[in-house]
Amino acid sequence: MDDLNPEQARDHLEMVERILAQSQQRLCAGGEFFVIWGLFSGGATIAAHLIGQGIAPFGLLWVVAAALVACIVFSVLRGRALRGTGGRESLVQREFFNVLWLTLGLAFVVNVAAYRVFSGIASAAIWSFAETIVLLYIAMHGNRRAAACGVLVLASLIVANVVPSQDAAYVLAAGMVAGYTGFGLTELLVKA
Amino acid sequence: MDELLLSKIRLGIIAELLTAQWIAFSELQRELGVSQGNLGAHLAKLVAGGYVDEEKSFVNRRPQTRYRLTPRGRTAFSDHVTQLQTLLKASS
Repeated sequence: MDDLNPEQARDHLEMVERILAQSQQRLCAGGEFFVIWGLFSGGATIAAHLIGQGIAPFGLLWVVAAALVACIVFSVLRGRALRGTGGRESLVQREFFNVLWLTLGLAFVVNVAAYRVFSGIASAAIWSFAETIVLLYIAMHGNRRAAACGVLVLASLIVANVVPSQDAAYVLAAGMVAGYTGFGLTELLVKA
Repeated sequence: MDELLLSKIRLGIIAELLTAQWIAFSELQRELGVSQGNLGAHLAKLVAGGYVDEEKSFVNRRPQTRYRLTPRGRTAFSDHVTQLQTLLKASS
């Protein structure tokens, strides 16, 4: 304990507190991921609705499947390209991506594996629910845009519950595009 | 007290790494405002002491050296900060 005097100890502790306060805890979310997944989920919701109503041919599902593969490929390639370019990766950032992929992955698995339980509009609502979780998780780390967009997606979910059933898919899709894609666009604009 | 953490710069490095998965050398230099040679020397001591892991890679075809805190470094930091707080309490 003789190595530092109290004044030096105070100085060191103040520096540590300052560094920790500055390095906390903002999430830097990649806007482009939100743009493409918001567009995909909104488009897929409307496509499924149109097919279900007999307005669009069943073959449209192949377009949705191709778009899904394209979004996955883009996400993987873009994620690799971005890795290491920022100078640092915070623990909270890593945690965020775990939450993101876990939430969206579970929504996807539920859509595919429990298609009887979550059929029709319920399968789209699962995506709205997942997107709300992701946005509000980001909001919890001080991003007000994410909070507003998360509330928007959540509101679309609630409104879809009370509008006529033939309109519910459009309301959910609008929430996905406005909330998820909208958040991605605002993130890209802020960083531009 | 921990000899390695008596240096303010080395303590600052550990504090920076505490909330990070990893940090690149250039980012540490920018955050701490020290010269390249000075930072390199302090980081070498922390790596030799097992408090920090060093990893060299290429990002967009440019060499990058990044650092992450080891469990040993995290424990040492925690113990050291406790001792600093104890010293302050004892003096007041």
